[in-house]
Amino acid sequence: MKRGLITWDKAELPPSVFEARLAKAREALAEQDLPALLVYSDVWRSDEGRHLTNYMPYWNRSLIVIPREQEPVLLCGLSPRVYPWIKSVTIFEEIRPASKLVPTLLQFCSERGWTKLGVLDLSRLTHEIYAPLAACNLVISDVKLELTDEAEIAMHRRAEQMAREILTAELPKGAGLTDYQFSGLLERAFRRAGAEDLVLLFSTGDSAPRPARGAMLGDKYSVAVALEYRGHWARVTQGLPL
Amino acid sequence: MINQHRRTQLLELMTQRGWDSILLYGNAWRKDPFRSLVNFNFSGDHALARLSRSGEVAVTFSDPWDAENASARLEPEFARAFASGASAVAGLEFMEERFVAACGKLPVSATADVEELRRVKTAEEIGYIQQACDLADRGYQRFVEVAEPGMREFELVAEVEAFLKTNGAEDNFMLIASGGTEVVGMKPPTERKFQKGDSVTTELTPQVNGYYAQICRTLVLGEPSKEQLQAFGIFSEAQRAAQDLIKPGITAADAARAQNDVFRKHGYGDYTGAKYTRVRGHCLGLYPDETPHILEDVDYVLKQDMVVIAHPNTYLPLSGYMVFGDTLLLTESGNTRLNKTEKKLFVK
Repeated sequence: MKRGLITWDKAELPPSVFEARLAKAREALAEQDLPALLVYSDVWRSDEGRHLTNYMPYWNRSLIVIPREQEPVLLCGLSPRVYPWIKSVTIFEEIRPASKLVPTLLQFCSERGWTKLGVLDLSRLTHEIYAPLAACNLVISDVKLELTDEAEIAMHRRAEQMAREILTAELPKGAGLTDYQFSGLLERAFRRAGAEDLVLLFSTGDSAPRPARGAMLGDKYSVAVALEYRGHWARVTQGLPL
Repeated sequence: MINQHRRTQLLELMTQRGWDSILLYGNAWRKDPFRSLVNFNFSGDHALARLSRSGEVAVTFSDPWDAENASARLEPEFARAFASGASAVAGLEFMEERFVAACGKLPVSATADVEELRRVKTAEEIGYIQQACDLADRGYQRFVEVAEPGMREFELVAEVEAFLKTNGAEDNFMLIASGGTEVVGMKPPTERKFQKGDSVTTELTPQVNGYYAQICRTLVLGEPSKEQLQAFGIFSEAQRAAQDLIKPGITAADAARAQNDVFRKHGYGDYTGAKYTRVRGHCLGLYPDETPHILEDVDYVLKQDMVVIAHPNTYLPLSGYMVFGDTLLLTESGNTRLNKTEKKLFVK
């Protein structure tokens, strides 16, 4: 789960990057004559929302609404007590509590007078959101966006560099340890360096890489690290001997 | 890997409901519906178990490494795994719509039925939760050992996470906060440095063999103030009230009311609502926040062998947000506290 450092370094990702991404989303809306874009976000499906707003849910689900003419709004399943923190790490100025996401969304659309809505990657919307939306009077349309830009690639490079440098330094320390012990060692190193999320898989050659299970690593093993750095994933695999 | 008790329960459920087949779907966030039948810790995006009326279980993964390690079917185009359709799906709500569409006829949701089956734990499941509780206790001990003024929140989380993984945790759900009366809730760690006098709160939820247990404690760095001590007295009394009351036959609402009444008695009833707190506890198992939630409007009757945490965590103007709670196993006539960590305001 995402429980590491979630932050927004504006020197690394300036607000202008998000402005450009939102402008691209609004262009797509204009092409399809849609008043707003809906982006689903949960603990696992966070990449699209993070790209557009820097929002990273550490728990629960949320809906991001990007109007064509106004600022984005977060319909949030989390408690209002954490909204100041969310505002400090995202572009959002308006967050609405939404313990019931779809009714809150429909109310919001009604307030704005919208009768149709674009949905980013409609077929990947979760059923609990899709089903009530499809059953209401709102016309929903699929919207595709290219979510890659130079800033995005640069962040993935940073994630990859962090993953590679730390794994290279730590890899020899696993010899003679169990995979549990080595995963602890790697967790400390990566999380102290600012990793947001981490998936570690180990192999000693007798199976495909798998999560730690208390097995001895011996002196020949490989580690696959999937690292999330400020919303951007990189995957690096290295083996010993190097 | 197959939970045989659950398979028997599901087959009975299928007979009752007239279902020919049931699917149990899991994704990287909500693995629990899948793992309730197939306790395999998959690392890819999607997993699906299909149980047919004959009792046969067929497992499909989207990731080749999972498929190889579990000797199961691989389906990178995961919508194809649903092509045979099904009568019912546990985890339907979490499925992407393209998967639902691939089923053909819309299946019934079995999520609520399966969650009800999961609430009452088997001896084996209780054993895993006890192991997770033991690890939570040791993890909190580590938390207290390591925390010190000048350290940043995320550095402390890194140390605790490392300890838990070293000692066999599959995963850990952890929230943290630090400071004084300005703190209104917990969240992921920030770069804030701990200061003398801080209340440092945490909710540790390690997972062992699929099952989560939780502990909530508050640590004061330095000598606690009169207000911190007074606040902890109220939290301690509220948690004790719930622990003394919880047994089979009472409702979740009863357990919530017992805690909230303590706050009301001390003049802090306003701080028991949604503005200042979330829930007064919840169930634990394959998901760290299982229902029913312990709230005054939840009339679910608790049963023997359910595992719940009672935690009166909330904001109080005395001390800011404070947490205190333990994992409890419902026994025939009461409950057993599965955590062994001392019930006190920790001071360092």
